[in-house]
Amino acid sequence: MAAYLINIAQHRLRHLKQEIRFKLNAWTISALILGLILFLPMAEVLWHLTSPAENWEHLRDTVLGRYLKGSVILVLGTAVLSVLLGVSTAWLVACCEFPGRKIFEWALILPLAIPTYIAAYAYFDLLDQLTPLLIWVRLNISPEAMTLLSDTMVYPVTIVVLAAVLYPYVYLVARAAFARQSSQCIEAARTLGHGPQSTFWRVALPLARPAIVGGVALVIMETLNDYGAVEHFNVPTFTTGIFRTWLSMGDLQGALRLAACLMALILFLLVLEKWLRFGARFHKSSQADRPFQRYALGQAKAGLAILCCLLPLVIGFVLPLSRLAYWASFNAGKVLDASFLKLTLNSVGVATAAGLATVVLALFLAYTARYFGSRTVGATNRLAILGYAVPGAVIAMGILLIAGQVTRTTGWVLTGSLAALVLAYVIRFLAVAWQPIDSGMERNCAQLNNAARSLGANAARSLFQINVPLLRNALVAAGLFVFVDTIKELPLTLVLRPFDFETLSTRTFDLAKQAQIPESSVPALCIILVSLLPVIWLNRQMRTPEK
Amino acid sequence: MFLVEPYSFLTARLWHGRCCGTTALVNQNWMLDIVETVSHFGEPLARFVMKSFLKSFFALGLLAGVSVSAAELNVYSHRHYDSDAILFKQFTKETGIKINVVKASADQLIQRLISEGKNSPADALLTVDAGRLHRAKAAGVLQPVKSRALAKKVPAPMRDPEGHWFGMTVRSRVIVYSKDRVKPSDLSTYEALAKPEWKGRVVARSSSNIYNQSLLASIIAANGKDKALAWAKAVRKNMARSPRGSDRDQARAVAAGLADVAIMNTYYLGILANSAVAADREVAAKVGVFFPNQDGRGAHINVSGGGVTASAKNKKEAIRFLEFLTSAKSQEAFGNVNHEYPVIIKNNKSELLKSWGSFKADDVNLSVLGAKNAEAVKLFDLAGWE
Repeated sequence: MAAYLINIAQHRLRHLKQEIRFKLNAWTISALILGLILFLPMAEVLWHLTSPAENWEHLRDTVLGRYLKGSVILVLGTAVLSVLLGVSTAWLVACCEFPGRKIFEWALILPLAIPTYIAAYAYFDLLDQLTPLLIWVRLNISPEAMTLLSDTMVYPVTIVVLAAVLYPYVYLVARAAFARQSSQCIEAARTLGHGPQSTFWRVALPLARPAIVGGVALVIMETLNDYGAVEHFNVPTFTTGIFRTWLSMGDLQGALRLAACLMALILFLLVLEKWLRFGARFHKSSQADRPFQRYALGQAKAGLAILCCLLPLVIGFVLPLSRLAYWASFNAGKVLDASFLKLTLNSVGVATAAGLATVVLALFLAYTARYFGSRTVGATNRLAILGYAVPGAVIAMGILLIAGQVTRTTGWVLTGSLAALVLAYVIRFLAVAWQPIDSGMERNCAQLNNAARSLGANAARSLFQINVPLLRNALVAAGLFVFVDTIKELPLTLVLRPFDFETLSTRTFDLAKQAQIPESSVPALCIILVSLLPVIWLNRQMRTPEK
Repeated sequence: MFLVEPYSFLTARLWHGRCCGTTALVNQNWMLDIVETVSHFGEPLARFVMKSFLKSFFALGLLAGVSVSAAELNVYSHRHYDSDAILFKQFTKETGIKINVVKASADQLIQRLISEGKNSPADALLTVDAGRLHRAKAAGVLQPVKSRALAKKVPAPMRDPEGHWFGMTVRSRVIVYSKDRVKPSDLSTYEALAKPEWKGRVVARSSSNIYNQSLLASIIAANGKDKALAWAKAVRKNMARSPRGSDRDQARAVAAGLADVAIMNTYYLGILANSAVAADREVAAKVGVFFPNQDGRGAHINVSGGGVTASAKNKKEAIRFLEFLTSAKSQEAFGNVNHEYPVIIKNNKSELLKSWGSFKADDVNLSVLGAKNAEAVKLFDLAGWE
């Protein structure tokens, strides 16, 4: 054992020496520093896991358990429901033939355009619809039964609302996995006498599992990130706890400690996800396979399939969108004025800045790691993109901390500045831009970079003359994704926005919080319409490999 | 830097306005400085002459300033009511002072005032409860004000003893009951809601809300910490459902039959009674208002009020603004439009408020509520009142 460890250590050391000897230059050093800077706010928060906080014992003994319980129930419920909705529809669309399949194929992705808090506002009265039932229970069974029912109903309602807009993450990856699965595997299963059902359970599902786990991980991250929906339905979770501790108790240290707990929970989930995948990457097979022969469904079964696909689509998109549009048609005149134009400009301006900055940074980081083949930069890159897994509220706390330290040492006031807000967006959404750029480089540019290098081109020339032109589409897409994610973002914006600086998302939240949900539908609709653009683009992109 | 620039045009107007209002003042100080320098070389007479000359010049300049370009006032406000928009307009009409309002939650506004420090453009801060005013004072973002008019018009318990803030309107946190299922004679005090007979019959909103925090702070002040904790625990156990929604939602729950009594603020019932939505008016008709603790310390009240910020560049205008809000006319408007009690409760003119009857108010100094706020939040946590 000891010899083994020493061996590994020696191996690592040799690598490090090589890195220092051959790969240390202005590019790698600045990429290293940038990667670490982007990770700094998260490291700061994690550091507070053990630091003393005056109210911590009080928080731990009274509310921590409640937040943990609320968060865990929500995460489990939303994950299970998303898998049910996502996998079943993905299987139907990818492997069965029924009328309307082609439409569902792209339509099922649409709920992705609705942020969780807006879904909650669209269904704001869902709990109130239960009032007659509750009163019946109160009168005919007992008041205690009603209390119990009323308190437990909060969870299913919130879970349904969250899963209805988050299931597309699972649907997307599962559909791609089913569609790409080697048709040979499935046909082999058929020849061996497996019907569609047992093929699904014994071949297709196990093969798609790593991809599905990845999709579920995204659903969980989004659930833990949500603030608006849980705030609206009054579910005690970590995010609501962080805001309450910070604003109601005025205790920043306690809030930080809560944020650190949440971050620890996320890291645990990330490790769990790795472990659940047994290290397997998303399933990839050769693209050259023959197109898959879909199961043709009979009339009754086709009807069921249509119902099955219609349900999530209606709950997650048609109903919320039409309700919002209905309210907006009454309130547009009241809400649309000069100030609305200003906040739209704010949203667009800050999102453009975040999109540009993120793409430039992601390009630089990914390129440096790949061009110089530096493992160290690769590792710091992984740290930097961790921000996508971390809830916005946590990143906001980290930035606040760092900004405080900067102010103390240099006198620059960072808190409440647009620069800090944009930096926070960059940290939160770096992965969104880094992922497509990095995989694009791996596919298209690796060989060319080597060729250019052997022909004497330097790193900058190779970047601007080979990588940027080749990756143009990926860069635009990356920028677009960050742009839209920024416009949708709520908790981070709430904490870090400069004062008097409203965006579409904060206005939606503020109006909804003042019980003016019909009025909030106007900015909410704007957000959804903007978000639809990349959803449609994403859809086309995911479909191309199928041919 | 370029990140900040594109937005500058949006705020340019505000800044420009501020400068206009204070130009005269700034120039004046600069000239006084010169006088000070001159006097250093010793010419007391010349100094006296110059100073008096400059003083009269300053007065003229200020007058000219008011008549030529209107002065402005920057207000940070948590109040988002129609009554305020009407009153602000009225103030501008009477005084020629234009008001720029920035609306946000009091917590954010205070954080903002702290981080802006001396450079804050704000002249006055308005919040909807004494607890936040106290927190603002503790954070050092308000300054003491001496105004005879304010001292006269705002009763002592409704203002800060050192003049950092003044109450403008009063709201009482009362027990609202279902007219069908509860007789007013069943009700007596806040403390009585902790009795087992109310099991499964009470609703209230979350303890994250400042109104509940201030209510518990008043109970801490009256009965002590231990009894207050026991009260919060027992009331939480008596709740028909876990705390959720706004004060209005509590009235709706009682009217619908989910519960029999709610703890809520009076003016929300006024808003429901005057709502454009028929269902809301029905809710208001089905419930009654009960002022608790009439044989004891009185019903819990809180104020919405304001103060002059420590950084105020237009202090005079800010004081004038606060005085305007406490004038008889403004006080009447708060009652008629937003269903709040005037700061001298017995001066109430609103028919709706009169219909709820007169009541005895808890006369604990409201700054106590602020001082006990953090303790109240902790007790709520301990009591499991989420």
